[in-house]
Amino acid sequence: MNRHTMLCALAGLAVLSDPRPGAAAERVNVVATLSTFGDLVSTVGGDYVQVASIASPKFNPHFIEPKPSDVLKTKRADLFVHAGLDLELWRWPLLDAAGNRRLFQGQEGELDLSQGVKLLEVPTRPVSRAEGDIHLYGNPHYWLSPENAKTMAQAICDKLSAIDPQHQDTYHANLLAFLAQLDRKIAEWRLALAPYKGREVIGYHNSWVYLMEFAGLKMHHFLEPKPGIPPTPQQVQFITQYITAQRIPAIVQESFFPSQTTKAIAKRTGAKTVFLCQNVRELPACADYFAMMDYNVSQVVDALGQTAR
Amino acid sequence: MSSLIIFIIACIGFAQAGWAEVSDQQVAQLNQSVQRLSQLVEELQGTVQAQQQRLAELETAKWQPAAPVPTAGQAGLSQQAAGSLSAFNPEIGVLADIVGQVSESSADGEGNDKISAREMELVFGHPIDPYSRLDVTASFSDFEAANLEEAYVTHWGLPEPLRARIGRFKPKVGKAVAIHRDSLDTVDEPLVVASYLGAEGLSRTGVELSGFLPVPWTAVTHELTGGVMEGGVGEGGTLFGSIRRRPSYYAHLKNFWDISDVANAELGATYLTGSKDDDADLEVQALGLDATLMHYVTPTNKLKWQNELYLQERDEAVSVDADAGTETLFRDTPWGLYTLLDYRFSPRLGAGGRFDYVEPVDVDPARLARAGDTAWSGYLTFYQSEFARWRLQYRHTNFARGGDDNTVFLQGMVAIGVHKHQLQ
Repeated sequence: MNRHTMLCALAGLAVLSDPRPGAAAERVNVVATLSTFGDLVSTVGGDYVQVASIASPKFNPHFIEPKPSDVLKTKRADLFVHAGLDLELWRWPLLDAAGNRRLFQGQEGELDLSQGVKLLEVPTRPVSRAEGDIHLYGNPHYWLSPENAKTMAQAICDKLSAIDPQHQDTYHANLLAFLAQLDRKIAEWRLALAPYKGREVIGYHNSWVYLMEFAGLKMHHFLEPKPGIPPTPQQVQFITQYITAQRIPAIVQESFFPSQTTKAIAKRTGAKTVFLCQNVRELPACADYFAMMDYNVSQVVDALGQTAR
Repeated sequence: MSSLIIFIIACIGFAQAGWAEVSDQQVAQLNQSVQRLSQLVEELQGTVQAQQQRLAELETAKWQPAAPVPTAGQAGLSQQAAGSLSAFNPEIGVLADIVGQVSESSADGEGNDKISAREMELVFGHPIDPYSRLDVTASFSDFEAANLEEAYVTHWGLPEPLRARIGRFKPKVGKAVAIHRDSLDTVDEPLVVASYLGAEGLSRTGVELSGFLPVPWTAVTHELTGGVMEGGVGEGGTLFGSIRRRPSYYAHLKNFWDISDVANAELGATYLTGSKDDDADLEVQALGLDATLMHYVTPTNKLKWQNELYLQERDEAVSVDADAGTETLFRDTPWGLYTLLDYRFSPRLGAGGRFDYVEPVDVDPARLARAGDTAWSGYLTFYQSEFARWRLQYRHTNFARGGDDNTVFLQGMVAIGVHKHQLQ
């Protein structure tokens, strides 16, 4: 191969590459960082959206390695839905690699679902990495409060309507149906959780604060000594003693964290190990947002009910 | 609901009358239960009313197109960030690569028999405008002068979906060459990369275009990259000559296959051509093949098997030393490869091994004890946190020139600030 051949090959890139990203699809092409967001977009968008999510719900959403196939999906997307804040730090290299300028921050095709959500644990003082993998803007796991799901669904409806105004009536109708069902379910979930208001549980990672607030439960201590730092022997000892002294009924964790430590503590103390879904489809029982919340609430109720004082 | 409460209270009253022996304590508990239930009912009634009101508002309100999309400065957390000029400051990160090395080599080389600050990377990056982004990496060492490792503009303003990079960067060839040292699975570069392209990989100034191929299937994605870069290679590399004004050319085709949610495979092909001397002829051509298999055994246990092979076609002439009356015939087709197996078996621990083989370029085969260098490496990695890790590595090398070496590395790699590499 000589130099001219190489130059021809370079020029050929322009011809070979797809000049019409997403143009083939009549539906709004949506890429969501998390499966939960993808599920909400599907619920509101119905038949007029095509949704792909990047992070497998079976993995820790903080540490996703986007793949070339994810880059291609993002390159062809009309809308990019993400958690905002600093949950998915991998989204920036993903967007850079995709180079789809419509999805860049502040552009029409970007939707930051944290907008309008009442955030918890927002630092009120300077923070540093000495405190672990701390979140600068507040705890980012806000989708686990169904009250916040209302805000998120509304934002999705608004954004889809802006991108695809001809189907806005459908999006609005889907939103209303979702909100109505959500209201019914919220009442149902609150009723189920009411007897356990004020009870304390232990977490593995600090990702349940919104669910705990909704459930009226407390979660002050975690197996991780600092966010993102795996359990240390000292922390395991402390948690074991704390559970025993305070008669803590349950340890809550995601399915993607190692369970050996949790189970060992549970065995020693008699506390229940409760695996909850952080995102839709993390476990088979969490097929969509309602199923996920149904499952999470029922698991908490079961664990606390079995260990009622 | 109120009737239900009255009924419950009445029942409780009857129960109290019928069970005179019930203790005061039990009565008090029952009263508390009733009070809690009453409060709950009131809360639920309030919730239902509020929800009904909200539904009525939504149903009666004329549907309006969405308001303009909130931008970064309009709500939530971004108020602080966008409201400050500091939002325009580049992202800044510092990476420190500290390596202790003990070997049998007598050379006073970089890091030999001492602990060295092998590399301190100062990383800056930020969007320039809606069309482009600038990334700069300057590296410092306690053994070498400061070095501009990368300084390139990524441009998205080309006809979609092309992406261009211009400046000094790590060209997308193979696997190990394109990534920074802190992302390597081993302390050192694979021998074939160090020998042919440079001990610290390859960073050259040039221009590069990349884009995905428009294929009808979705199971496999194909990304084609092509570029022109200045001549020469990295420190100690032998693939091309050292004349920088003679450009080299490269192309890479990456084929990526999502096998399942937990497994993927990548097959890549690289073509490189350049000059080995100061003329304009492209006498050296190299073909690279890479194959990587990734399998997430569990969400925290990851197995990676990565392989790279480089074959050269060098068009070497016979070197004649008239005074000595000798002829030297260098190899026309040297080659090398490595295979690496890495297993992250817990959130904090990983281990792996690598086998290397590489045939030297500029050595008369007649003077060699064996066809090429071979090396076996084994390592253990401790991930202290997301931003710090420690690695202990042992490497045994048999040199083509004869002799061998045993080297032990201890590496500490830490990062502060914002640290983002482009995706591989």
